[in-house]
Amino acid sequence: MADTQTVKLKIKRQDGPKAQAHWEEFEIPYKSGMNVISAMMDIAANPVTKDGKTTTPIAYDSNCLEEICGSCAMLINGKARMACSALVKNLEQPITVEPLSKFPLVRDLAVDRNVLFENLKKVKAWVPVDGTYDLGSGPRVTPQKQEQAYPLSNCISCTICMEVCPQFNESTGFVGAATISQVALFNDHPTGAVLKEERLHALMGDGGIHECGYAQNCVESCPKGIPLTRSISRVAGQVMLQTVKDIFSR
Amino acid sequence: MSTAVSPGPSSTTSANDHPQGIAPLRAGQGHEFFWRRLHSLTGIIPVGAFLFEHILISNATAINGATAYAHQVRFLGSLPFVLGLELLGIWLPIAFHALYGFYIWYRGRANLISYPWMGNWMYSLQRWSGAIAFAYIIWHTYTMRFTGVDLHEVPGASFGKVQHELFVTPLFLFYVIGLVAASWHFAYGIWLFCAKWGITVGERARQKFLYICIAFFFLLSAVGLASMTKFRSTPQQCTDQPCADQIEQAK
Ligand code: HEM
Repeated sequence: MADTQTVKLKIKRQDGPKAQAHWEEFEIPYKSGMNVISAMMDIAANPVTKDGKTTTPIAYDSNCLEEICGSCAMLINGKARMACSALVKNLEQPITVEPLSKFPLVRDLAVDRNVLFENLKKVKAWVPVDGTYDLGSGPRVTPQKQEQAYPLSNCISCTICMEVCPQFNESTGFVGAATISQVALFNDHPTGAVLKEERLHALMGDGGIHECGYAQNCVESCPKGIPLTRSISRVAGQVMLQTVKDIFSR
Repeated sequence: MSTAVSPGPSSTTSANDHPQGIAPLRAGQGHEFFWRRLHSLTGIIPVGAFLFEHILISNATAINGATAYAHQVRFLGSLPFVLGLELLGIWLPIAFHALYGFYIWYRGRANLISYPWMGNWMYSLQRWSGAIAFAYIIWHTYTMRFTGVDLHEVPGASFGKVQHELFVTPLFLFYVIGLVAASWHFAYGIWLFCAKWGITVGERARQKFLYICIAFFFLLSAVGLASMTKFRSTPQQCTDQPCADQIEQAK
Protein backbone atom coordinates (compact mmCIF):
# COMPACT_ATOMS: atom_id res chain seq x y z
CA MET A 1 0.00 0.00 0.00
CA ALA A 2 1.40 3.37 -0.96
CA ASP A 3 0.38 4.65 2.44
CA THR A 4 -0.24 8.31 3.00
CA GLN A 5 2.26 9.56 5.55
CA THR A 6 1.04 9.59 9.14
CA VAL A 7 2.24 11.22 12.32
CA LYS A 8 2.44 9.36 15.60
CA LEU A 9 2.05 11.34 18.80
CA LYS A 10 2.17 10.26 22.41
CA ILE A 11 0.56 12.88 24.59
CA LYS A 12 0.42 13.08 28.36
CA ARG A 13 -3.10 13.76 29.57
CA GLN A 14 -4.35 14.84 32.95
CA ASP A 15 -7.91 15.95 33.61
CA GLY A 16 -7.03 18.35 36.39
CA PRO A 17 -4.39 19.28 38.97
CA LYS A 18 -5.28 16.36 41.24
CA ALA A 19 -6.18 13.78 38.60
CA GLN A 20 -3.97 10.86 37.55
CA ALA A 21 -1.81 11.46 34.52
CA HIS A 22 -1.95 8.97 31.64
CA TRP A 23 -0.63 8.70 28.11
CA GLU A 24 -2.72 8.68 24.94
CA GLU A 25 -1.38 7.78 21.53
CA PHE A 26 -2.57 9.28 18.28
CA GLU A 27 -1.88 8.58 14.64
CA ILE A 28 -3.04 11.27 12.24
CA PRO A 29 -2.42 12.07 8.56
CA TYR A 30 0.60 14.25 7.88
CA LYS A 31 0.07 17.66 6.32
CA SER A 32 2.89 19.65 4.84
CA GLY A 33 4.29 22.27 7.22
CA MET A 34 2.63 20.61 10.19
CA ASN A 35 3.78 21.62 13.67
CA VAL A 36 2.89 20.19 17.06
CA ILE A 37 0.09 22.73 17.64
CA SER A 38 -1.50 22.17 14.23
CA ALA A 39 -1.28 18.42 14.85
CA MET A 40 -3.21 18.89 18.07
CA MET A 41 -5.75 21.05 16.22
CA ASP A 42 -6.30 18.14 13.86
CA ILE A 43 -6.72 15.85 16.87
CA ALA A 44 -9.29 18.28 18.31
CA ALA A 45 -11.21 18.12 15.02
CA ASN A 46 -11.37 14.33 15.36
CA PRO A 47 -10.44 13.32 18.90
CA VAL A 48 -9.88 9.60 18.43
CA THR A 49 -6.84 7.74 19.76
CA LYS A 50 -4.68 5.37 17.78
CA ASP A 51 -6.75 2.45 19.13
CA GLY A 52 -9.99 4.03 17.89
CA LYS A 53 -11.14 5.21 21.31
CA THR A 54 -13.00 8.52 21.34
CA THR A 55 -11.43 11.02 23.69
CA THR A 56 -11.52 14.72 24.52
CA PRO A 57 -9.60 17.39 22.64
CA ILE A 58 -6.26 18.18 24.27
CA ALA A 59 -6.09 21.26 26.47
CA TYR A 60 -3.09 23.50 25.88
CA ASP A 61 -2.17 27.18 25.76
CA SER A 62 -1.40 28.71 22.41
CA ASN A 63 -2.19 31.84 20.54
CA CYS A 64 -0.03 33.41 17.85
CA LEU A 65 1.44 30.28 16.22
CA GLU A 66 4.52 32.25 15.22
CA GLU A 67 6.71 32.04 18.33
CA ILE A 68 5.90 35.52 19.49
CA CYS A 69 3.25 35.16 22.21
CA GLY A 70 5.10 32.70 24.41
CA SER A 71 2.03 30.59 25.26
CA CYS A 72 2.74 27.15 23.87
CA ALA A 73 5.92 26.09 25.68
CA MET A 74 5.83 22.37 26.46
CA LEU A 75 8.09 19.33 26.63
CA ILE A 76 8.46 17.87 23.16
CA ASN A 77 10.47 14.68 22.96
CA GLY A 78 11.65 15.47 26.47
CA LYS A 79 12.88 19.00 25.82
CA ALA A 80 11.20 22.29 26.62
CA ARG A 81 10.41 24.25 23.48
CA MET A 82 7.68 26.18 21.70
CA ALA A 83 5.18 23.77 20.17
CA CYS A 84 4.26 26.12 17.30
CA SER A 85 7.79 26.19 15.94
CA ALA A 86 8.33 22.46 16.53
CA LEU A 87 7.92 21.23 12.96
CA VAL A 88 6.72 17.67 12.80
CA LYS A 89 9.01 16.78 9.89
CA ASN A 90 12.05 17.53 12.06
CA LEU A 91 10.90 15.46 15.04
CA GLU A 92 11.57 11.86 15.88
CA GLN A 93 8.37 9.82 16.11
CA PRO A 94 6.36 9.02 18.08
CA ILE A 95 6.47 12.63 19.19
CA THR A 96 6.06 12.70 22.96
CA VAL A 97 4.34 15.78 24.28
CA GLU A 98 4.20 16.61 27.99
CA PRO A 99 3.39 19.72 30.00
CA LEU A 100 6.23 21.80 31.47
CA SER A 101 7.25 19.99 34.63
CA LYS A 102 7.95 22.85 37.03
CA PHE A 103 4.67 24.74 36.98
CA PRO A 104 1.35 23.81 38.58
CA LEU A 105 -0.69 21.83 36.11
CA VAL A 106 -4.08 23.11 35.04
CA ARG A 107 -5.11 20.47 32.55
CA ASP A 108 -3.33 18.27 29.99
CA LEU A 109 -0.59 20.52 28.59
CA ALA A 110 -1.80 23.76 30.16
CA VAL A 111 0.20 24.92 33.16
CA ASP A 112 0.00 27.97 35.41
CA ARG A 113 3.04 30.13 34.78
CA ASN A 114 1.94 32.93 37.07
CA VAL A 115 5.20 32.75 39.03
CA LEU A 116 6.96 34.65 36.23
CA PHE A 117 4.41 37.43 36.43
CA GLU A 118 4.88 37.58 40.20
CA ASN A 119 8.64 37.73 39.77
CA LEU A 120 8.41 40.54 37.22
CA LYS A 121 6.28 42.49 39.69
CA LYS A 122 8.79 41.85 42.48
CA VAL A 123 11.59 43.44 40.45
CA LYS A 124 9.38 46.23 39.09
CA ALA A 125 10.05 45.27 35.50
CA TRP A 126 8.55 48.40 34.00
CA VAL A 127 9.29 52.02 33.17
CA PRO A 128 7.45 54.21 35.69
CA VAL A 129 5.68 56.89 33.67
CA ASP A 130 2.28 57.06 35.36
CA GLY A 131 1.44 60.47 36.83
CA THR A 132 -1.38 62.89 37.38
CA TYR A 133 -0.17 65.20 34.67
CA ASP A 134 1.57 64.93 31.33
CA LEU A 135 5.22 64.16 32.04
CA GLY A 136 6.30 65.20 28.56
CA SER A 137 8.60 63.18 26.39
CA GLY A 138 11.28 61.10 28.07
CA PRO A 139 15.04 61.34 27.59
CA ARG A 140 16.44 60.31 24.25
CA VAL A 141 17.64 56.75 23.98
CA THR A 142 20.78 56.51 21.87
CA PRO A 143 20.82 54.05 18.98
CA GLN A 144 23.60 52.17 20.78
CA LYS A 145 21.39 51.71 23.83
CA GLN A 146 18.47 50.71 21.63
CA GLU A 147 20.58 48.04 20.04
CA GLN A 148 21.48 46.66 23.44
CA ALA A 149 17.88 46.80 24.64
CA TYR A 150 16.22 45.30 21.59
CA PRO A 151 17.28 41.66 22.04
CA LEU A 152 16.26 41.79 25.70
CA SER A 153 12.87 43.25 24.80
CA ASN A 154 12.24 40.15 22.68
CA CYS A 155 11.41 38.06 25.75
CA ILE A 156 8.05 36.35 25.27
CA SER A 157 7.67 35.08 28.86
CA CYS A 158 7.52 31.49 27.68
CA THR A 159 9.34 30.30 30.89
CA ILE A 160 11.48 27.80 28.97
CA CYS A 161 14.63 29.29 30.57
CA MET A 162 13.11 28.53 33.96
CA GLU A 163 11.93 25.03 33.09
CA VAL A 164 15.41 23.96 31.91
CA CYS A 165 17.30 25.56 34.81
CA PRO A 166 18.58 23.09 37.43
CA GLN A 167 18.42 25.85 40.01
CA PHE A 168 14.77 26.73 39.34
CA ASN A 169 13.00 24.37 41.72
CA GLU A 170 10.91 24.20 44.88
CA SER A 171 13.97 24.17 47.12
CA THR A 172 15.61 27.37 45.87
CA GLY A 173 12.63 29.30 44.53
CA PHE A 174 15.10 30.84 42.09
CA VAL A 175 13.73 33.82 40.21
CA GLY A 176 15.05 32.55 36.85
CA ALA A 177 16.83 34.06 33.87
CA ALA A 178 13.86 35.81 32.22
CA THR A 179 13.24 38.12 35.17
CA ILE A 180 16.93 38.91 35.62
CA SER A 181 17.20 39.78 31.95
CA GLN A 182 14.24 42.14 32.27
CA VAL A 183 16.06 43.82 35.15
CA ALA A 184 18.98 44.37 32.77
CA LEU A 185 16.58 45.83 30.20
CA PHE A 186 14.81 48.25 32.53
CA ASN A 187 17.95 49.28 34.40
CA ASP A 188 19.41 50.34 31.06
CA HIS A 189 16.41 52.47 30.19
CA PRO A 190 17.03 56.12 31.09
CA THR A 191 13.64 56.48 32.75
CA GLY A 192 13.43 52.90 34.00
CA ALA A 193 16.75 53.46 35.80
CA VAL A 194 15.06 55.35 38.64
CA LEU A 195 14.03 51.97 40.00
CA LYS A 196 17.45 50.39 39.51
CA GLU A 197 18.39 50.23 43.19
CA GLU A 198 15.03 48.75 44.12
CA ARG A 199 15.40 46.07 41.45
CA LEU A 200 18.91 45.18 42.58
CA HIS A 201 17.81 44.99 46.20
CA ALA A 202 14.91 42.76 45.20
CA LEU A 203 17.35 40.39 43.47
CA MET A 204 19.35 40.10 46.71
CA GLY A 205 16.38 38.50 48.44
CA ASP A 206 16.06 34.73 48.85
CA GLY A 207 15.67 33.08 45.47
CA GLY A 208 17.55 35.97 43.89
CA ILE A 209 20.36 36.19 41.36
CA HIS A 210 22.86 34.40 43.61
CA GLU A 211 20.99 31.13 43.07
CA CYS A 212 22.26 31.00 39.49
CA GLY A 213 24.67 28.07 39.10
CA TYR A 214 25.69 29.11 35.60
CA ALA A 215 24.72 25.82 33.95
CA GLN A 216 23.74 28.01 30.96
CA ASN A 217 20.78 25.87 29.88
CA CYS A 218 18.79 29.10 29.69
CA VAL A 219 20.74 30.58 26.74
CA GLU A 220 20.92 27.22 25.04
CA SER A 221 17.17 26.85 25.01
CA CYS A 222 15.82 30.40 24.70
CA PRO A 223 13.62 30.37 21.56
CA LYS A 224 14.31 34.07 21.01
CA GLY A 225 18.09 33.75 21.31
CA ILE A 226 18.23 36.29 24.12
CA PRO A 227 21.76 36.65 25.60
CA LEU A 228 20.52 35.54 29.02
CA THR A 229 23.90 34.69 30.54
CA ARG A 230 25.19 38.11 29.50
CA SER A 231 22.21 39.66 31.29
CA ILE A 232 22.84 37.54 34.37
CA SER A 233 26.52 38.48 34.52
CA ARG A 234 25.76 42.15 33.94
CA VAL A 235 23.06 42.33 36.57
CA ALA A 236 25.20 40.28 38.95
CA GLY A 237 27.90 42.92 38.56
CA GLN A 238 25.36 45.66 39.26
CA VAL A 239 24.19 43.76 42.35
CA MET A 240 27.77 43.44 43.63
CA LEU A 241 28.47 47.16 43.08
CA GLN A 242 25.22 47.97 44.86
CA THR A 243 26.34 45.74 47.74
CA VAL A 244 29.62 47.63 48.07
CA LYS A 245 27.73 50.92 47.87
CA ASP A 246 25.33 49.75 50.57
CA ILE A 247 28.17 48.71 52.87
CA PHE A 248 29.70 52.16 52.77
CA SER A 249 26.67 54.39 52.50
CA ARG A 250 23.91 52.81 54.49
CA MET B 1 -9.21 45.46 46.40
CA SER B 2 -7.62 42.45 44.88
CA THR B 3 -3.88 42.93 45.03
CA ALA B 4 -1.83 39.78 44.72
CA VAL B 5 -0.73 38.60 48.12
CA SER B 6 2.22 36.35 48.80
CA PRO B 7 1.07 32.74 48.72
CA GLY B 8 0.01 31.79 52.20
CA PRO B 9 -0.73 28.24 53.33
CA SER B 10 -4.44 28.95 53.54
CA SER B 11 -5.37 30.28 50.13
CA THR B 12 -8.91 29.07 49.78
CA THR B 13 -9.90 30.74 46.53
CA SER B 14 -11.26 28.37 43.94
CA ALA B 15 -8.80 29.64 41.34
CA ASN B 16 -6.04 28.26 43.51
CA ASP B 17 -7.17 24.68 43.93
CA HIS B 18 -4.07 23.39 42.16
CA PRO B 19 -0.65 23.02 43.79
CA GLN B 20 1.23 26.22 44.58
CA GLY B 21 4.35 25.38 42.63
CA ILE B 22 7.66 27.19 42.89
CA ALA B 23 7.65 30.28 45.08
CA PRO B 24 8.26 33.69 43.54
CA LEU B 25 11.27 35.84 44.50
CA ARG B 26 11.31 36.81 48.17
CA ALA B 27 12.44 40.38 47.59
CA GLY B 28 13.96 41.93 50.69
CA GLN B 29 13.85 38.68 52.64
CA GLY B 30 16.45 36.23 53.91
CA HIS B 31 20.22 35.97 54.03
CA GLU B 32 20.96 33.49 51.27
CA PHE B 33 22.59 36.18 49.16
CA PHE B 34 25.25 36.71 51.83
CA TRP B 35 25.98 33.01 52.35
CA ARG B 36 25.99 32.20 48.67
CA ARG B 37 28.39 35.00 47.82
CA LEU B 38 30.57 34.08 50.80
CA HIS B 39 30.70 30.53 49.47
CA SER B 40 31.76 31.86 46.09
CA LEU B 41 34.39 34.13 47.63
CA THR B 42 35.85 31.50 49.97
CA GLY B 43 36.39 29.30 46.90
CA ILE B 44 38.89 31.90 45.63
CA ILE B 45 40.13 33.44 48.87
CA PRO B 46 41.37 31.79 50.99
CA VAL B 47 40.73 28.21 49.76
CA GLY B 48 41.82 28.76 46.15
CA ALA B 49 44.75 30.94 47.15
CA PHE B 50 45.86 28.18 49.50
CA LEU B 51 45.58 25.54 46.77
CA PHE B 52 47.64 27.78 44.46
CA GLU B 53 50.39 28.08 47.07
CA HIS B 54 50.17 24.43 48.05
CA ILE B 55 50.61 23.02 44.55
CA LEU B 56 52.58 25.66 42.68
CA ILE B 57 54.95 26.75 45.45
CA SER B 58 55.27 24.52 48.52
CA ASN B 59 54.94 21.10 46.97
CA ALA B 60 56.76 22.16 43.83
CA THR B 61 59.88 22.68 45.98
CA ALA B 62 59.98 18.88 46.30
CA ILE B 63 61.33 18.95 42.75
CA ASN B 64 64.48 20.49 44.27
CA GLY B 65 64.92 17.54 46.61
CA ALA B 66 64.35 16.50 50.22
CA THR B 67 66.35 19.31 51.82
CA ALA B 68 64.66 22.11 49.88
CA TYR B 69 61.33 20.53 50.74
CA ALA B 70 62.25 20.39 54.42
CA HIS B 71 63.17 24.06 54.36
CA GLN B 72 59.84 24.99 52.82
CA VAL B 73 57.99 22.98 55.47
CA ARG B 74 60.10 24.59 58.19
CA PHE B 75 59.27 28.02 56.77
CA LEU B 76 55.54 27.30 56.77
CA GLY B 77 55.72 25.83 60.28
CA SER B 78 57.61 28.89 61.52
CA LEU B 79 55.00 31.42 60.39
CA PRO B 80 53.63 33.45 63.31
CA PHE B 81 50.29 32.19 64.65
CA VAL B 82 50.54 29.02 62.53
CA LEU B 83 47.67 27.35 64.30
CA GLY B 84 45.51 30.46 63.91
CA LEU B 85 46.44 30.70 60.24
CA GLU B 86 45.63 27.06 59.67
CA LEU B 87 42.37 27.30 61.55
CA LEU B 88 41.00 30.57 60.21
CA GLY B 89 42.81 30.64 56.87
CA ILE B 90 42.36 27.05 55.76
CA TRP B 91 40.31 24.62 57.82
CA LEU B 92 37.34 26.79 58.67
CA PRO B 93 36.96 28.24 55.14
CA ILE B 94 37.32 24.81 53.51
CA ALA B 95 34.86 23.29 55.95
CA PHE B 96 32.39 26.08 55.22
CA HIS B 97 32.88 25.98 51.44
CA ALA B 98 32.60 22.20 51.36
CA LEU B 99 29.60 21.82 53.65
CA TYR B 100 27.73 24.73 52.10
CA GLY B 101 28.76 23.34 48.72
CA PHE B 102 27.01 20.05 49.53
CA TYR B 103 23.99 22.06 50.64
CA ILE B 104 23.96 23.92 47.28
CA TRP B 105 24.30 20.60 45.49
CA TYR B 106 21.41 19.14 47.48
CA ARG B 107 19.18 22.08 46.51
CA GLY B 108 19.88 21.81 42.78
CA ARG B 109 17.98 19.51 40.39
CA ALA B 110 20.51 18.31 37.84
CA ASN B 111 18.92 17.56 34.45
CA LEU B 112 21.85 16.37 32.35
CA ILE B 113 19.83 13.56 30.77
CA SER B 114 17.29 15.93 29.24
CA TYR B 115 19.74 18.72 28.47
CA PRO B 116 23.23 17.28 27.87
CA TRP B 117 24.89 20.59 27.05
CA MET B 118 28.44 21.75 27.88
CA GLY B 119 27.60 24.23 30.61
CA ASN B 120 25.22 21.75 32.19
CA TRP B 121 27.95 19.09 32.24
CA MET B 122 30.26 21.56 33.90
CA TYR B 123 27.56 22.36 36.47
CA SER B 124 27.45 18.70 37.49
CA LEU B 125 31.21 18.26 37.21
CA GLN B 126 31.71 21.19 39.60
CA ARG B 127 29.73 19.25 42.19
CA TRP B 128 31.37 15.86 41.63
CA SER B 129 34.90 17.29 41.49
CA GLY B 130 34.14 19.10 44.76
CA ALA B 131 33.04 15.85 46.37
CA ILE B 132 36.15 13.98 45.18
CA ALA B 133 38.37 16.82 46.38
CA PHE B 134 36.54 16.71 49.71
CA ALA B 135 37.20 12.98 50.24
CA TYR B 136 40.81 13.49 49.23
CA ILE B 137 41.34 16.53 51.45
CA ILE B 138 39.99 14.70 54.52
CA TRP B 139 42.33 11.75 53.95
CA HIS B 140 45.29 13.93 53.08
CA THR B 141 44.94 16.22 56.14
CA TYR B 142 44.36 13.29 58.44
CA THR B 143 47.45 11.35 57.36
CA MET B 144 49.81 14.28 56.76
CA ARG B 145 48.85 16.67 59.53
CA PHE B 146 47.28 14.63 62.30
CA THR B 147 49.01 11.24 62.26
CA GLY B 148 52.63 10.06 62.18
CA VAL B 149 55.62 12.38 62.62
CA ASP B 150 54.63 15.98 63.39
CA LEU B 151 56.26 17.86 60.52
CA HIS B 152 56.17 21.15 62.40
CA GLU B 153 58.53 19.48 64.91
CA VAL B 154 60.63 17.53 62.41
CA PRO B 155 60.51 19.29 59.00
CA GLY B 156 63.32 17.04 57.77
CA ALA B 157 60.92 14.07 57.81
CA SER B 158 58.53 15.70 55.31
CA PHE B 159 59.88 14.22 52.10
CA GLY B 160 60.03 10.70 53.49
CA LYS B 161 56.58 10.95 55.01
CA VAL B 162 55.05 11.86 51.67
CA GLN B 163 57.03 9.05 50.01
CA HIS B 164 55.59 6.48 52.43
CA GLU B 165 52.16 7.34 51.01
CA LEU B 166 53.06 7.74 47.36
CA PHE B 167 54.97 4.44 47.10
CA VAL B 168 51.68 2.66 47.76
CA THR B 169 50.31 2.58 44.21
CA PRO B 170 46.56 2.73 45.03
CA LEU B 171 47.26 5.70 47.29
CA PHE B 172 49.33 7.31 44.54
CA LEU B 173 46.36 6.94 42.17
CA PHE B 174 44.09 8.44 44.81
CA TYR B 175 46.50 11.38 45.02
CA VAL B 176 46.45 11.82 41.25
CA ILE B 177 42.63 11.74 41.15
CA GLY B 178 42.43 14.15 44.09
CA LEU B 179 44.89 16.51 42.41
CA VAL B 180 43.09 16.52 39.09
CA ALA B 181 39.66 16.93 40.71
CA ALA B 182 40.78 19.80 42.93
CA SER B 183 42.64 21.48 40.06
CA TRP B 184 39.62 21.32 37.76
CA HIS B 185 37.26 22.45 40.48
CA PHE B 186 39.44 25.45 41.24
CA ALA B 187 40.22 26.36 37.62
CA TYR B 188 36.60 26.17 36.45
CA GLY B 189 35.63 27.77 39.77
CA ILE B 190 37.60 30.88 38.84
CA TRP B 191 35.69 30.99 35.57
CA LEU B 192 32.38 30.60 37.45
CA PHE B 193 33.37 33.25 39.93
CA CYS B 194 34.11 35.78 37.19
CA ALA B 195 30.84 35.00 35.40
CA LYS B 196 28.81 35.19 38.61
CA TRP B 197 30.34 38.37 39.96
CA GLY B 198 29.92 40.28 36.74
CA ILE B 199 33.61 40.38 35.80
CA THR B 200 33.42 38.50 32.48
CA VAL B 201 30.20 39.93 31.08
CA GLY B 202 30.43 39.32 27.35
CA GLU B 203 30.15 35.98 25.54
CA ARG B 204 33.56 36.39 23.93
CA ALA B 205 35.17 37.45 27.19
CA ARG B 206 33.77 34.37 28.87
CA GLN B 207 34.86 32.13 26.01
CA LYS B 208 38.42 33.44 26.06
CA PHE B 209 38.64 33.34 29.82
CA LEU B 210 37.53 29.71 29.70
CA TYR B 211 40.64 28.88 27.64
CA ILE B 212 42.79 30.65 30.22
CA CYS B 213 41.15 28.69 33.05
CA ILE B 214 41.64 25.41 31.18
CA ALA B 215 45.31 26.30 30.71
CA PHE B 216 45.51 27.01 34.43
CA PHE B 217 43.99 23.59 35.14
CA PHE B 218 46.74 21.95 33.07
CA LEU B 219 49.39 24.00 34.85
CA LEU B 220 48.14 22.97 38.30
CA SER B 221 47.84 19.32 37.29
CA ALA B 222 51.21 19.22 35.56
CA VAL B 223 53.15 20.83 38.39
CA GLY B 224 51.37 18.62 40.91
CA LEU B 225 52.18 15.51 38.88
CA ALA B 226 55.80 16.59 38.47
CA SER B 227 56.13 16.93 42.24
CA MET B 228 54.57 13.52 42.80
CA THR B 229 56.86 11.96 40.22
CA LYS B 230 59.83 13.38 42.07
CA PHE B 231 58.70 11.72 45.31
CA ARG B 232 58.25 8.42 43.49
CA SER B 233 61.59 8.54 41.65
CA THR B 234 63.70 9.40 44.71
CA PRO B 235 64.88 6.56 47.02
CA GLN B 236 62.89 6.42 50.26
CA GLN B 237 64.13 9.13 52.65
CA CYS B 238 64.20 8.57 56.40
CA THR B 239 61.61 10.02 58.77
CA ASP B 240 63.20 9.17 62.13
CA GLN B 241 64.71 11.87 64.26
CA PRO B 242 68.52 12.12 63.97
CA CYS B 243 68.51 11.12 60.30
CA ALA B 244 65.66 13.52 59.37
CA ASP B 245 67.45 16.39 61.07
CA GLN B 246 70.46 15.69 58.87
CA ILE B 247 68.28 16.05 55.76
CA GLU B 248 67.05 19.38 57.06
CA GLN B 249 70.58 20.58 57.83
CA ALA B 250 72.19 19.39 54.58
CA LYS B 251 73.01 22.13 52.10
C1 HEM C 1 40.09 22.18 46.85
C2 HEM C 1 39.33 23.00 47.53
C3 HEM C 1 38.26 23.84 46.82
C4 HEM C 1 38.46 24.96 46.08
C5 HEM C 1 39.78 25.65 45.78
C6 HEM C 1 37.17 25.39 45.61
C7 HEM C 1 36.95 26.50 44.83
C8 HEM C 1 35.75 26.86 44.28
C9 HEM C 1 35.52 28.01 43.47
C10 HEM C 1 36.56 29.05 43.11
C11 HEM C 1 34.21 28.00 43.09
C12 HEM C 1 33.52 29.02 42.21
C13 HEM C 1 32.62 29.92 42.95
C14 HEM C 1 31.19 29.80 42.54
O1 HEM C 1 30.84 29.02 41.65
O2 HEM C 1 30.36 30.50 43.09
C15 HEM C 1 33.62 26.84 43.65
C16 HEM C 1 32.30 26.48 43.46
C17 HEM C 1 31.72 25.39 44.05
N1 HEM C 1 32.29 24.54 44.98
FE1 HEM C 1 34.23 24.54 45.54
N2 HEM C 1 36.21 24.52 46.06
C18 HEM C 1 36.84 23.55 46.80
C19 HEM C 1 36.23 22.49 47.43
C20 HEM C 1 34.90 22.18 47.34
C21 HEM C 1 34.29 21.07 48.01
C22 HEM C 1 35.02 20.09 48.90
C23 HEM C 1 32.96 21.10 47.68
C24 HEM C 1 31.92 20.11 48.14
C25 HEM C 1 31.11 19.50 47.35
C26 HEM C 1 32.74 22.22 46.78
C27 HEM C 1 31.54 22.57 46.20
C28 HEM C 1 31.35 23.60 45.31
C29 HEM C 1 30.13 23.86 44.59
C30 HEM C 1 28.84 23.08 44.70
C31 HEM C 1 30.37 24.98 43.78
C32 HEM C 1 29.40 25.61 42.78
C33 HEM C 1 28.56 26.65 43.41
C34 HEM C 1 27.53 27.16 42.45
O3 HEM C 1 27.30 26.59 41.39
O4 HEM C 1 26.92 28.18 42.78
N3 HEM C 1 33.94 22.86 46.61
N4 HEM C 1 34.57 26.15 44.39
